[in-house]
Amino acid sequence: MRKHRFTLLLVVAIAMIAIYFVFNFNLLFGVNHEEKNVTVILKSLNIRLDFWQAVNQGAEAAAKETGLNLSVEGPLIEGDSNAQIQILEDAIARKPQAIVIDMVMDNRMPAILAKARAAGIKLVIINHSPSMKPSPIVVSSNHKEAGQLAGQTSIQETDGDPNIAVISDYASSIISQERLEGMRLALKGYKASAMETYYADDSEDQAYEIAKRLLRSDSGINTFITLNQSASQGVARLLKEYNETGAINLIGFDSTSDEVQLLESGIMTASIVQKPFNMGYLGVKAALKLIDGEKTEPITYIESNVITKENMYTTENQKLLFPFITSK
Amino acid sequence: MLKDRFFPLFPLKSIQSNISLAFSMLILAAIVLTSLVSYQVSVAAVERNSKGYIEEIIKQVNLNIQSYVDNMENISLLALTNKDVKYYISDNNFISAENRRTYEKQISDLFQAILYTRKDIASIMVFGYNGRFVSDRRITTLNPNTKTEDQEWYQLAKAAGGRSVVSAPHVQSLIENEYRWVVSLSRELKSTDGIKADGVLLVDLNLSVINDICENINLGKKGYLFIVDNEGHIVYHPQQQLIDSKLRTERIEEVLQAPSGQSFVVNEGGDKRIYSVQDTNFGWRIAGVAYSDDLIANKEGLRNSIIFYSLCGLAITLLISIGLSHRLSKPIKVLQSDMKQVEKGNFNIQTEIGQMNEIGQLGRSFNLMVSRTKFLMEETILNQENKRKSELLLLQSQINPHFLYNTLDSIVWMAEQKQHEEVVLMTSALAKLFRASITKEKELVPIRVEIEHITNYLLIQKMRYNDELNYVIDMDESILDYKTLKILLQPFVENAIYHGIRNMYGMDDGLITIRGRQAGDQIIFEVEDNGQGMSAEQLGKLLYSNLEENANQGIGIRNVNERIKLYFGHEYGIQIRSEIEEGTCITIVIPKLD
Repeated sequence: MRKHRFTLLLVVAIAMIAIYFVFNFNLLFGVNHEEKNVTVILKSLNIRLDFWQAVNQGAEAAAKETGLNLSVEGPLIEGDSNAQIQILEDAIARKPQAIVIDMVMDNRMPAILAKARAAGIKLVIINHSPSMKPSPIVVSSNHKEAGQLAGQTSIQETDGDPNIAVISDYASSIISQERLEGMRLALKGYKASAMETYYADDSEDQAYEIAKRLLRSDSGINTFITLNQSASQGVARLLKEYNETGAINLIGFDSTSDEVQLLESGIMTASIVQKPFNMGYLGVKAALKLIDGEKTEPITYIESNVITKENMYTTENQKLLFPFITSK
Repeated sequence: MLKDRFFPLFPLKSIQSNISLAFSMLILAAIVLTSLVSYQVSVAAVERNSKGYIEEIIKQVNLNIQSYVDNMENISLLALTNKDVKYYISDNNFISAENRRTYEKQISDLFQAILYTRKDIASIMVFGYNGRFVSDRRITTLNPNTKTEDQEWYQLAKAAGGRSVVSAPHVQSLIENEYRWVVSLSRELKSTDGIKADGVLLVDLNLSVINDICENINLGKKGYLFIVDNEGHIVYHPQQQLIDSKLRTERIEEVLQAPSGQSFVVNEGGDKRIYSVQDTNFGWRIAGVAYSDDLIANKEGLRNSIIFYSLCGLAITLLISIGLSHRLSKPIKVLQSDMKQVEKGNFNIQTEIGQMNEIGQLGRSFNLMVSRTKFLMEETILNQENKRKSELLLLQSQINPHFLYNTLDSIVWMAEQKQHEEVVLMTSALAKLFRASITKEKELVPIRVEIEHITNYLLIQKMRYNDELNYVIDMDESILDYKTLKILLQPFVENAIYHGIRNMYGMDDGLITIRGRQAGDQIIFEVEDNGQGMSAEQLGKLLYSNLEENANQGIGIRNVNERIKLYFGHEYGIQIRSEIEEGTCITIVIPKLD
C-alpha cells in the first residue's frame, strides 16, 4: 500500500511540474519571441529635417522587418546637447536592450554613455565615428569616401585642372574633417594650391562673402566644394548673381529641396548625397546583432551617391532626393 | 524495501509497476503522437487559411489600385472627348489670343471641377504639340529646368499612339517649386479626324494614395506588400532604398514568373515567407509577402494549449493507469500473501475470491489446493495415529512371556506342593489377567476394572514372590467410575517389581503403593515402591528408549506415556521421581472422564 501511495505522489508531482511548465511556458519557448527594445536617439526629430526623418524611417523599416520594439527620439532643435542628454538619460532609465545614437559632441557624453554600458545597454553610434574608449559599434556614412567622391567630381568637371575652394563650417566638426581628408586623398598628385579650405561657421552670409572675395580676387578658382547646406546656399546665391553658372562648379553635400532646385537649374554641379534611410536601418540592425550576441563589424560604412542634374531623376536617386511621399 | 519505495517504477519487480509503466508509455506515445499530428494539422490549416487570406487582401489592394487607375482612365477619356480640349490643341489658327484665354479658362474649370471631386488626383495637364499648354490651375508656372518632351511619360504616350500609359511612381517636377511623388497616366490626344496626334494628356495620381493603401495593409507584424512592373522594376516597395543599395534582395524574378492569384513559399534562413501575386490590368504585379511565423500569430498559443491539454491528459491517464494497475494487481498481491501464509504452514487459510476472472480462478484453485492439502495432511496424521494405536494395542495384547512362564512355573510348583487353593487362586487370576488384556473392543475402561486388573496382577506376583512383595492399593472411592486407559498401571507396577523390589537383596519388605485420587478435573495415580531406585541415566533410558529395545520387557513406560499423550493430549502424561536406595514414585495424570 505504501508503494502505491508513493506512485500517487509521483503522479501528482508530475502533474504539478506540467502545470508549472505550462504557466511558465515563455521560459521554454518564448525566448526567441521576447520583445526586444531598441531606442534610437537622433540629433533632431524635427519633421522638417528630411535627413533625420529618413534615418527614422530606416530604423522603423528595420524594426518592422525584425519585429522589435522601436522608440525613436530626438530634440526638436538640431544640436541641442542639453535636450539630447536629457533624452539619453531618460532612455537609460528605461533600460532598453540597445541604444542607437547620433550624439551631439559634448563633454558630458562619454560619461553618460559609459553609464549606459554599465547598465548593460548595447550601444551603436551612427552618423560619425567618435574617438571613444572602448570604441563603440559605429554605423556611419563614409564621410571620407564622400569627400573623395567630391574631389573626384571636381577633377572630372574641371577636366583634370581643379582649383578648389572648400567652404566648411567649423574646424572642429568631425564630419567635415573626414570629408576634407577624403578630398585630399582624391586630389593627391595635384598641386598643393589646388585646394584651399575656408570656414564659414555654418552661416550662409559668411559663405557668400568668402566666395565673393575669392571670385573677385584673381584666385582662378573654378570649383567650390561646400561642406554644409548653408555654405551651399551662400555660394549658390553668389553664383546666381554673377550668372556664372556652369563656368564655376559648385559641389555640395546632402540634399534639401533648395539644393534640388540648384541642381536642376545647373547652379550646383553635383551633390554628394548620404543615405540616411540605410543608416537608420543598419544602425538598428547592428543593435539587434549586439543584442543577439552575434559578431558585429566595428564600423559599418554607408556609401554616398554623387547626384547631378543628369541623374537626379533616376529611380534610385529620386528616392534619395525626395525621400518622402506626401500628399501635399 | 527502501529502494522499492523510492524507485517504484524502475526496479520493475511488481506487476503493478510493469503495468503502470506499460500503460504510461503507451499513453505517452499516443498523446505525443496525437499532439504532434494535431499541431502540424492546425499549423497547416492556419497556413492554408492565411494564404487564402493574403490572396484575398492582395485582390482587394489590386481592386483599390485598379479603381484609382480606372479613375485616371475615365478622367483621361473625359478630357479626350472634350471638344474644348480638342479644339484648343488642334492645329487651326482661328483661335485668337483672346479666345485662347477663354478656352484655357473653360478647360481649366473643367479640370478643376474634376479635381475637386477627386482628392487623389494631383494634377491634370494637356500639352499640345502646337506648344499650347493648359492645366487644372489658372496660373501655372512650369519648371524652367524641366523639359516636358524629355519626360518618360510624354515619350511613352507618344509611342503608345492613343492608348493610355501608366508610369512608374516618380517625382513630378513639371511645376516650379513643386516636387510630388505621383503615378502618371498619359495619353496621346488625337485630332477630330482621329488620325493626327495633337498633344498629350497627363493625369497625375498622388502616390501617397497607393502608398497609403500599401502601407496600411496588415500582413502580420512583419509582412509587407510590393509592386513591380512588367519588366521587373520596382514600382513600390517599403524598403526600396535598401534594395537600391543592394542591402536587401527581393524575389522579383519569382514574382514575375508566378501565375496571378497564386502563392509561393520562400524559405530563407529559417524565415518562411509566403508570396502572393496578383496581376493588374495595367501591367503591374502586386505581391504580398507574409511571414509564416507572423501569420500564425497564435502558433505559440496553439502549441501551448496543445501541450497543456496533453499534459493534463497525461497526468489524468497516468493516475488512471496506476489506479487500474493497482486494481489489477491487488488480488494477486492478496493471493500472494495468502500463499506466504501457507508457506509458513498455516493451512487454515482460504483466499478471498473477487471477480471470477483469471485471478479469481487462480484463487479458487489455490483454495481447492490448500483445502485438499489440509485434508491429506490430516488424513496422514490420523493414519499415523491409528497405526501407532494399533501397534500399541498389539503390544498390549502381548503378555510378557517370562511372566507367563514364571507364573505357570509357580502354578506347577504349587500344584506339586498340592497347594490346591493357591493353584486355583493363581490360575483364576491369570485367566482374568489374560481376559483383560485380550479384550480388544474397548480402549477405555472404568478405573474399577483397571484396579481389578492390577489387583489380579499383583496377586500373581505376590504369590510368586511370597513375602518379598507387599502392596497397598489406596484408591479414592469417588474415582472408581471414571474411565481410564486399559492396562495403564500394570507397566509401572511391573517396573516397580522388576527394577525396584526384585533387586532388593535381603530385603523382605518390598512395598508397592498404588494411589489414586482426583484433583480438579484430573485424576492422579501414583505408583510408588521402596526399591533401590534409579539413577538419572536409568530414568532417561526408561523414558526415551525405543519401543523395540524394550520389547522383551513388555509394554514400556515410555509407550504408556505416549499412549496417554496420544489419547488425552500433551498436558497429560507421567512424572518419575526416583532416588537411589530410596525408591521410585511414578505419577500418572489423566483427565477425568465419565
